[in-house]
Amino acid sequence: MTRKTRAAEAFLSTFLAITAGLLLSFAFLPFMGIHPLSSLGLLFSSMFSDRYTIGTIFVKAAPLILTALSFAIAYRSNLFNIGAQGQFYIGAICAVSVTLGLQNRIPAFLVILLAGLAGSLGGGAVGALIGLLKAKYHANEFLVSMMSTYVIAELMDYLLRTFLREKAKDYLQTDSIDPSAWLPVIVGKTSVHLGVVLAVAAALLVWVLLFKTQAGFRIRAVGLNAEAARMCGIRPETQCILTLFISGLLAGFAGFIEVNGMQHMLITGLDADVGSYGIGIAILGSANPIGILFASVLFGALKTGGTTLGQVSNVPASIIDLMEGFVMIFVLISYFVRHKISLSKTKRLLGKAVKHD
Amino acid sequence: MIKLLANALFMSTPLILGACGEVVAERTGMMVTAVEGIFLFGAWGGFVGAYFTKSLLLGFLAAIACGVLVALLYAVTTIHMQQNQVVMGTAVNILMTGICEFFYRVIFGTPLEPLTVKPLPVLPVPLLADIPVLGTILFRQNLITYLTWILVPAVLFLLYKTSLGLTLRSTGENPEAVDVAGIRVNRVRLLAVLFAGILGGIAGAYYSIGDIGMYTTSIISGRGWIAFAICFLGNWNPLLALGAGVVFGTSDAVGVYVKSLGSGFFPSELFTALPYILTILLTVVRRRFNAPAKLGTAYVKEH
Repeated sequence: MTRKTRAAEAFLSTFLAITAGLLLSFAFLPFMGIHPLSSLGLLFSSMFSDRYTIGTIFVKAAPLILTALSFAIAYRSNLFNIGAQGQFYIGAICAVSVTLGLQNRIPAFLVILLAGLAGSLGGGAVGALIGLLKAKYHANEFLVSMMSTYVIAELMDYLLRTFLREKAKDYLQTDSIDPSAWLPVIVGKTSVHLGVVLAVAAALLVWVLLFKTQAGFRIRAVGLNAEAARMCGIRPETQCILTLFISGLLAGFAGFIEVNGMQHMLITGLDADVGSYGIGIAILGSANPIGILFASVLFGALKTGGTTLGQVSNVPASIIDLMEGFVMIFVLISYFVRHKISLSKTKRLLGKAVKHD
Repeated sequence: MIKLLANALFMSTPLILGACGEVVAERTGMMVTAVEGIFLFGAWGGFVGAYFTKSLLLGFLAAIACGVLVALLYAVTTIHMQQNQVVMGTAVNILMTGICEFFYRVIFGTPLEPLTVKPLPVLPVPLLADIPVLGTILFRQNLITYLTWILVPAVLFLLYKTSLGLTLRSTGENPEAVDVAGIRVNRVRLLAVLFAGILGGIAGAYYSIGDIGMYTTSIISGRGWIAFAICFLGNWNPLLALGAGVVFGTSDAVGVYVKSLGSGFFPSELFTALPYILTILLTVVRRRFNAPAKLGTAYVKEH
């Protein structure tokens, strides 16, 4: 089978899976006495209602791109980093601390730069630590990364209650950061900020890294066959730490762009589902950075539309979570169906070939 | 202190239940990574069932049905469709978060006051409950806790002393041999996962209708994963899982206790995070593992 038809098949089956997920989740609406088709129409019309809303789609997609990349790059190496949420929080904590500490003292662009660095490295450090535990102590990275998220969430709540708490002491949040340290808005009359561009750039970079460089080849080689990679002189242990470092770095960077670009402060439970959405999107985009870009925009749009839908009608905004779940399951099932179809095709061809002999 | 210990055992029950199901499933080679979703849907189903029927028994039965349903979805996709168990589990967990939140809203709307049911009562064992100290700790628990204590040795017996147990263990170690013996590997695995679904459903409902008497979206918040970790740390042995479960139950109880004290700069969050930190530490410290050989891999019959 040529590469092109395979890509087309993948696209078609993913499209079908998304449609099925969308329809199935809206099919539950009659239980609430709501007409499903009209709300489906409302969902789409509210997504594109005005310039600002369209911009919001991309603002919401940006962190999703990064957490999805975080999962995908580890997944390519057969590692399961399902703790992007925690690395995201660490990134956000580092970014907000650096910004609040340095703003108005040094030039604004330096503040942003240092906040970005701190956020990414903070997330990367958590990732590398998980990698170290895996490489050195054979700890199950899946379990450790999962647990680290809960630990970090508590740590964040503690910091927000004590050291980082706003001056007014009303809510679990920090003070707002100075507008000079905000990531600049790059498209007028929207909230699309520089972070959106950076997230897209990150996706392209990860694509180049994975498929066009030696370092990326090593990541994938370990994922495909760790023993064979070892024979070729790649040390899977070192590679594991490095891969999880990059994975955490991406999630931490997402924390930075959310704090400096979108929220302009750190609040408790910031984007509490960005990690799990990232996993869903990575699967939807079959762990390919380009696929992830499209899947992130799709979910950014659904989240934007879902929020509006929740405001203007009785449809709960959680319908989007429901949909994401169904879409993920259907995408996974579609992998199986495609595998089955191609298997039976091969069998038929083989059968023909045998007959000719 | 006595109250804290009694509470520790009380909190360890669902963890042990979930871990027991996980042990049986993992022995056959199936990691039930959907355990968090099973717990959550169990908690949800238990609450809904108990709220409408006003009966805790029916609530728990509803929870079992919910747990089995999630387990079935997970089993069919991982066993028969051979999808990666970690990826599928994550997908199922996300779906369950959405389903529970959405349908809670569908059924109850947005109530101003939290809806409640009467939680599971304490059931003192006659005579034994009057023993000083020990009686209060061990024999003033609820029915589910007693049943869990009976279940652990039962599962141990099942795994090591019965031919069914041998089949279960062999399925995880050497599925080809089981297949050759004329036993259908995938059926054994399916049933083991459904068993984990039953116990996971009960465990989930224990949090909603057994403990606080209501349902919130954050009711499970990783407890399913802790049960998953306990199976792992208990070396796939129900008895050791019981021990590990009590340790985690204690840290859970201490966390709840410290939180109730309120605090200033003192990091009470540390105690809430204790079970999770403990899991990480124990995963790192424990070196010897006895993992089933085929854990996490689908069985594909050679033709």
